[in-house]
Amino acid sequence: MKKRHAHKTNVLLVNITRLGDMLQATPTIAGMKMENPDCKVTVLVEKQFESICHTIPNVDEVLSVDLGMTVRSLAREKEGIIDAFEYVTEIVDDLRACNFDYSLNMSSSAYTAILLRLIGVQRRGGWASDAEGYRIIESEWAQLFATSVFHQNRQFNSLNLVDVFRCSADVEKHPHSLLINIDEEPRERAMALLEEMNFPKDGPFVMVQAGASQLKRQWSPEKFIRFISILTEQHGCRVLLSGTKKELQIIEPIVAASNRARVFSVGGKTGIPELAALLEMSDVLVTGDTGPMHMSVAAGTPVISMFLASAYGYETGPYAAGSIVLQPVIGCGPCNPNKACSRPECHDTFSPELLAELTMLRVRGDIEKLPSQLASERGVIIYKTYFDENGFYNLKPLNVEQNQAMERYRNAYRNVWLDDIGGFSVDGRGDAVVTPALNVIGEGVPGVREVVEAARKGQELIRQLQNLIANRSSSPQRLGETSEDLTELDRHIEQLGYHHSHLGPLTRMFIFNKENISGTDASGLASQMMGVYQALERRSGKLEQYYS
Amino acid sequence: MDERELASRMKADWDRRIAHDYRFWMSDGYQSDEVMWQSGERDFNIITRDIESASEKSILEIGCGVGRLLKAAVRRYKTVYGLDISEEALKRAGQLIGSEPNLKLLLGDGYTLSHLGDRSIDVVYSFASITSTPLEIFSRYLLEAHRVLKDDAVLRLQVYLGKEQQVNSEDTLHLRCFDNENFERAILAAGYSIEWIEELKLPFQVSFEEAGIIAKIGSFRKTSAARVNHDEIARLLMPNGEPDQADAITGVEVECWMSLNYAKELAESGDIERAKQTLDFAVVHAKSINLDIQDLLEQIVKLIDAKSSELQRSPASSENASVDVLSGELLYQGNLEIIRQRFPDAYQQLMHGDSEEHGVIECKSTGEGDALLYDGQALDHPSAPKRGASSWVKSQLQSGDYGEAKSLVVYGFAGGYHLEALRDARPQIQLSVVEPSAKTLRYALSRRDLRELLKDIDQLIVGSELSSLRISDEAQVLFRPQTSALFPEQTRELKARFYGTRGLELLSPTVSVLGPIQGGTLPILGYTVHGLAQMNQRVRGIDMSSFSGGFNSVEGLVHDEMRQAVLRGKYTETLSDMVLEVANEKPMDILICMAQAPITGKALQALREKGVITVLWFVEDYLRFHAWKYMAQFYDFVFTIQKDDCLEAIKAAGAGEVHYLPTAADPLIHAPMALSDAERTRWGAPISFVGAGYHNRQQMFASLSGLPFKIWGTEWPDCKPFDRMVQEGGRRLKPDEYVKIFNSTDININLHSSTERDGVDPAGDFINPRTFELAASGAFQLVDKRSLLGELFEPGEEIEVFETRAELIEKIDYYLAHPEKRTPFIEKARARVLREHTYQHRLQKMLSIIYSSRYEQLKRRIGTSPWVKVIERASRFPELKSRCETAFKRGEEANLDGLVSDIVSGQGELSETEQKLLFLFHIRKQMIRMRQEETVKS
Repeated sequence: MKKRHAHKTNVLLVNITRLGDMLQATPTIAGMKMENPDCKVTVLVEKQFESICHTIPNVDEVLSVDLGMTVRSLAREKEGIIDAFEYVTEIVDDLRACNFDYSLNMSSSAYTAILLRLIGVQRRGGWASDAEGYRIIESEWAQLFATSVFHQNRQFNSLNLVDVFRCSADVEKHPHSLLINIDEEPRERAMALLEEMNFPKDGPFVMVQAGASQLKRQWSPEKFIRFISILTEQHGCRVLLSGTKKELQIIEPIVAASNRARVFSVGGKTGIPELAALLEMSDVLVTGDTGPMHMSVAAGTPVISMFLASAYGYETGPYAAGSIVLQPVIGCGPCNPNKACSRPECHDTFSPELLAELTMLRVRGDIEKLPSQLASERGVIIYKTYFDENGFYNLKPLNVEQNQAMERYRNAYRNVWLDDIGGFSVDGRGDAVVTPALNVIGEGVPGVREVVEAARKGQELIRQLQNLIANRSSSPQRLGETSEDLTELDRHIEQLGYHHSHLGPLTRMFIFNKENISGTDASGLASQMMGVYQALERRSGKLEQYYS
Repeated sequence: MDERELASRMKADWDRRIAHDYRFWMSDGYQSDEVMWQSGERDFNIITRDIESASEKSILEIGCGVGRLLKAAVRRYKTVYGLDISEEALKRAGQLIGSEPNLKLLLGDGYTLSHLGDRSIDVVYSFASITSTPLEIFSRYLLEAHRVLKDDAVLRLQVYLGKEQQVNSEDTLHLRCFDNENFERAILAAGYSIEWIEELKLPFQVSFEEAGIIAKIGSFRKTSAARVNHDEIARLLMPNGEPDQADAITGVEVECWMSLNYAKELAESGDIERAKQTLDFAVVHAKSINLDIQDLLEQIVKLIDAKSSELQRSPASSENASVDVLSGELLYQGNLEIIRQRFPDAYQQLMHGDSEEHGVIECKSTGEGDALLYDGQALDHPSAPKRGASSWVKSQLQSGDYGEAKSLVVYGFAGGYHLEALRDARPQIQLSVVEPSAKTLRYALSRRDLRELLKDIDQLIVGSELSSLRISDEAQVLFRPQTSALFPEQTRELKARFYGTRGLELLSPTVSVLGPIQGGTLPILGYTVHGLAQMNQRVRGIDMSSFSGGFNSVEGLVHDEMRQAVLRGKYTETLSDMVLEVANEKPMDILICMAQAPITGKALQALREKGVITVLWFVEDYLRFHAWKYMAQFYDFVFTIQKDDCLEAIKAAGAGEVHYLPTAADPLIHAPMALSDAERTRWGAPISFVGAGYHNRQQMFASLSGLPFKIWGTEWPDCKPFDRMVQEGGRRLKPDEYVKIFNSTDININLHSSTERDGVDPAGDFINPRTFELAASGAFQLVDKRSLLGELFEPGEEIEVFETRAELIEKIDYYLAHPEKRTPFIEKARARVLREHTYQHRLQKMLSIIYSSRYEQLKRRIGTSPWVKVIERASRFPELKSRCETAFKRGEEANLDGLVSDIVSGQGELSETEQKLLFLFHIRKQMIRMRQEETVKS
C-alpha cells in the first residue's frame, strides 16, 4: 500500500460528535497500534462522549471539547464571547502542549479543520484548513471519502467508509472488525436485567433494534410484529428489543402486540456497556443501519441489517465478515439523507417472512448459499459481508447475478481506487498495470473518451503555462488567458460528471484533487496541476479497463 | 460584616445622629418641626400617589425615622406601621406625633420585618431611607416587604438609579445608586412586576445628573413568588457587591463634614449653643477620618468666639441701612476695579450691556451672607448659600467628568458662593465663568467682597454673547441649575457649542437614517448618510426605495381610494417592522427619519422605549403635507425647513424639540463638471428648468414657449406648448443627470412649487434643495423670491431673484445678452454654499442640537453598550480587544457575528485570533445545522 505518513508516535484522532464514528474508527486505531506498537493514540471528542470512550480499545488518552457550553456562552452574547474565546484559547494551548506528530480528522466540519490548523500539527490526514482559512483535504483517500459520500456518487461506491478512513491514516493492517471493550461488570448487569424480567433461557436469542435515526429508515411496527411473531411462534425464539427512551414509542407497541412470554424490551434501560454485553450474549441482531448494528459486530455477534431509504450497505454496512445486508432494489435508493420521505416504498421491497427466514438461517450459522425460494427474490439484494484479498470490506450478493451494470461500475471503481490510490494488486495486476492507450478504450463506458480528451487538453494547457512561467518576457495577458482556458476546461470536466452520472466519481475526485493543490510558487503549482490532469487521464483509462 | 453586625452599626449610627439633631439628619426641612412636617406631607403624597381606598388599607414605612412621613399617613390610612432600627428615632416619633390609635411604631432588628405576618399589609414604602442601607440589608428588605405584602399589593420605593456607586459596605449614610437594569432585574426576581419608575422631582436638587445619580420613585406590584434568595438579589443589584473599602469618601467622613458645615452655619447665624454642640458632635469623628478639616475647625472656633463676643457687645445687632448702602458701594467699586483690569469685555457689558434686561434682583440675608433671587427664583441657597454651594460643588466634583477636569467653565455666577467653594475644593483648577445677567453680577458685586475670587477666575463672560468664550479641549462645562432655568436659550446655545462639539468628537453613537420609499426626498437620504460619514459618525442608511414597486402596485390592483389607503398603511406597518428588525440586529442610538419615511408611530415608540433618540427631518412644506400632525409626538427632535408658525405647530403637536434646518448641497455630487460636446448637446440649453410640473410652474412656463427653454422632469402635460419643451418624455432623472443639466445650461430657472398660486408664491418661505444644488454646481440660477432666502444667500450679490413673470423674462433677456454678468453670481453662490450650506454643515448643526440636549443620555447609553464590558474583558487578548473596538465602531451588535463579519477567507493569512473566532463561529453554525437536521429527520 502506498503510504504518506507510515511512521507515527503521537497521534491525535479528531472524532468529536458521534459514537458511531468512534466505533467505526476502531479498526484504524487498532491498525495504527499494530503497525506502530509504541504509538500513543489520543482521541478528541465532545464532552458528552468522554465517559463512554473507555469502551473503545487501544485509546491511550481521551481529551474533550465542551461544544454545548461553548455554544451556550455564545448564546449569552455580550461577555459570553470572551468566555468562549478564553475556552478556545485554553483548549488550543492544551492540545499544543501535547506535541502530536500526526493528526487525523475525518469530520468534514469547518471548526475541526480550523482547530487542527490552530494546534499546528505538521503531518495531517483528512480535513484541515490552510493559512487563509480555506478547508483542505490532506490525503487522496480522504478526498475519495468526500467523493464517495457526495450524494450523486454514493451508488458507485463499494468501499466501506471504515476502510477509506483507515487508509486516510495510512493504516494497512487491521483486525477485520470493529472493536469494543466489554467488562465483566456490564455483563453482570445485563444478566441481572434479563433475570429481573424473566427473560426465557431457551430458544434462539434474537435481539431487535426497531428504532432508527430517521423515520424513513425505520421499518413499521406492524412489520416488526409479524416478523417477531414468526420467530417466536414458528421457531421458538426469545426476542429482546433494544433502543433508547426516545425509541420506546416504536418498541412498546411491538412488545404489546407480541407474545409477552417471549418478547421483552430493554428500551431506555441500558447504557452503552450493558447494551454491548446483551448484544454479545445474543445469537443475532436484526436492525437497520444503526449504532447498535456497529456495536453488535464489535461485540462479535452477526447482524441482519436492513439498509432502508438513505442507508447504503456498501458505505456503512456491518464491518465484520458473515453478516447479512438487505439493500432494497428501488430507483430512488439510496436517497438523500437530508430529505424526508412521505412514501418510503423501499420498506415494502421485502417481507417479514423473508426477514424471519434469513434470521433463522443466520442463527443456524454462516450463510454460504441461499435456499432457492430466497435466491429468486428480486425486490431486495441480499448481501453477505466479507473481506477481500487486500483486507477491504465487501458485499457478496447471494441472490442477484454479479454482472448487473451498477455492480460492474462499483467493482470497476473499487479496482480503480485500490489500484491507483492504494497501489494494491487488483486482479493480480496492481501497479504493474500500464495505463491503457486511448485507442483501445471508449466503447464500454459512455463519455469516458471526452474525459480523457479533456484531461489531455489540460496537460497541454499546463505545458503552455509552464512555458509562459519559464519565459520571463511572457505577457501577463497570455498567462491570464491560459488560466481562463483552464478554468473553462475544469468547468467542462465537472459538467461531464453531471451529464454522465457514472463518471461522477472520476470528475468529483478530479475537483477535490484540484482544490487541494497548495503552495505559492507558480511552477510548483503548475507541476501539481499537471499531476492532477495526468491522474484523471490515467484513472479514466483504468475505469474503462476494469469495467470491461 | 454579617447582617446582624451591619444592623448593629446602623442602630448605633442613627441613634447618635437622632440624639444630635433629628431634623438636620432626617429632613430637608430642618429649620423647624413645622417645615419638617410640610416636607413629610409633600414626600408622602409623592410616594403614595394614585393609591386608592387608603382609608381601608394598612401601610408600612420601612425606615420611618422620627415619623416625618408617618404624620401624613396616619390621617389617611386605616392602620399605619412605622419601622425603624433606631430606638432614639422611634422615641422621638412617639413624642412628636403623639398618641394616634391607628399608628404602630415597630423597633426593627435592621434586616427583617419579623413583627409582621405573611400577606398582612396593603402598601409598603420607603422614602429617603432604604437608599442609605448597605446592600446586604437592602436586598433582605426587598424580600421581607414581598413576604408581608398581600398578593397583588404595592411596594413603593424611593431609590437612586443610574451609575452604580461604590460605597463601603458598612456605610450607613451614603446613598446607594444602582444600575437601572440591575435594579429592575432584582425587583423582578424578588417577585414584583414593575408598574412605573419615574424621576423624583423636588423643589431642590435631588439628582446628580452629571454623576449619573438620578433620584427615582418606583411602584412595584407583588405578582409572583420570589424566585431567588437575598444573596442572589444582592448579586443582581450589584454584581460585584459592595466593597469593604471603596475609594470614595466614607460615611463617617460625610457625617463629619456635614456636621462641621452645619456648625459653621449655626455659628454664623448666631446660634452659638447649637453650633458648639454640633462641633462637639463632629469632632468625635475627627480622628478617624482622612479629610483635612483643621482649617475649617479653626474657622468655626474663631467664628464662635467672634459671634459670642459680638453678641455680648451688641445684643440688638441690626445694621444701619445707610452704612449698608455705603459699604455696598465700596464693595461694588472694589470688585468692579478687578473686573475692569482683568476682563475688559465683561466690564463693558456691566457698564452698558443690560438695557434689555427686565429681571428683578432681590437679596435675602442669611447667617451665611446674602443670597440672590432673580424674579423671585433663588440663585443661591435661600437660607444657607455657603453650605448649599459647598454641598452642590462637592456632589459635582464626585462625578468623573468634573472630578478629573483641569479646566471648568461654570455657567452662572449668582452670589459667587459656589465659585468660592469650587476654588477652595480645587485650588489649581482653571475657572471660566459665564453670567448671562449683567444685572445679577452687578448686584452680587455690591453685596459681597469678591475680589479674591475674581482674581482667581481666568475668564469672565457677561451677557448673552458667547462668541468670545474660549473652551479648551480639556474643559468641562458646569451648568448652575438655577441660572440654566432662568436663561434657557443661552443655556441651549452653550450646551450646543460644548456638547455639540464634544458629542461629535467623543460620543460616536450609531446613527441610522431612514429614507422614504420614493419621491424628491429620496436623494437626501444619500446626501445625509454621506455627510454623516464624512463627519466620522457611525452611520447606516436604511434605503426603502426598493419597496416602491409594491407600494405603487396597490393602485393597479385595488381602485377604491379608501381601500388603497388602508393597504398602504398596512404596507407601511410591514416596512416599520423591518426597521425594528434592522434595529434589533444592529442596534442604533439615533434614528433620523427623512420626511415620508415609512415608519409608524408604534414602531417609533418601540424604538424610543429602547432608548433610541427619534429624529424627523421634515424637508417638506408643513402646510401641504400633514403627516406631522399625528407623527410629531413620536419624535424627540423635528427639524423643519420652515420657521415661526411651523415650529410652533409641530411643537404643539407633541414633538420633543423643533428646530429650523434648511436643506443643503452635497459638494461631491453637486459640483462643476466638464462635459463633452455630445453631452452639452443632449443636456444643455440657453434656459432650463428641472422639476415636476406643478400648477404654478405650468402657468408660468407656458408663456416662455417662445424661448430656447428645456424642461426636465415628471408630471408635465403632454400637450402644447409643453410637448416641445419637455425633454425625454418627462422621465424621472437621476441626481447626476441634474448636475449635467445645471452645468450645460446658461440660465437655470428655479421656481418653487405651489399647488395653489399662479407663478411666484408671494407667501413662499422655505428654500428648496435645488437652490443649494444649483449654487454648488457652479450654475447660474434665477430663483423666485422667498422670505427665508435672505438668511441663506445675499440676493443681488450671490443670487439673482425674480418676483414676477415680467421680471423673470426681463432678467432672462438680460443675462442671455450679458453672460459675463452671470459669473460673479456663480462664484459667490458656490463659495457661500461651500462655506455654510453643505449637508455636512446641516448635520453638524443637527447633531449639535441633539447632543446638547442628550449628551448625558447618549454617553450613558454608549457607556452601557454591551461592547464596553466585552472590550474591558478582552483586554487580556490585545488583538481580540482591537477587533471588538473596531466592531463597536462599525456599529456591529455585541455578538460573535459582529466580530467575524469582516474576517474573509482567501485575503491573506488568518491570524490566530481570527482562526479562533472562526472556530467558534463554525461550532455554532454546526450545532444549529445539527438541530435542523434533527428536525428534518424526525
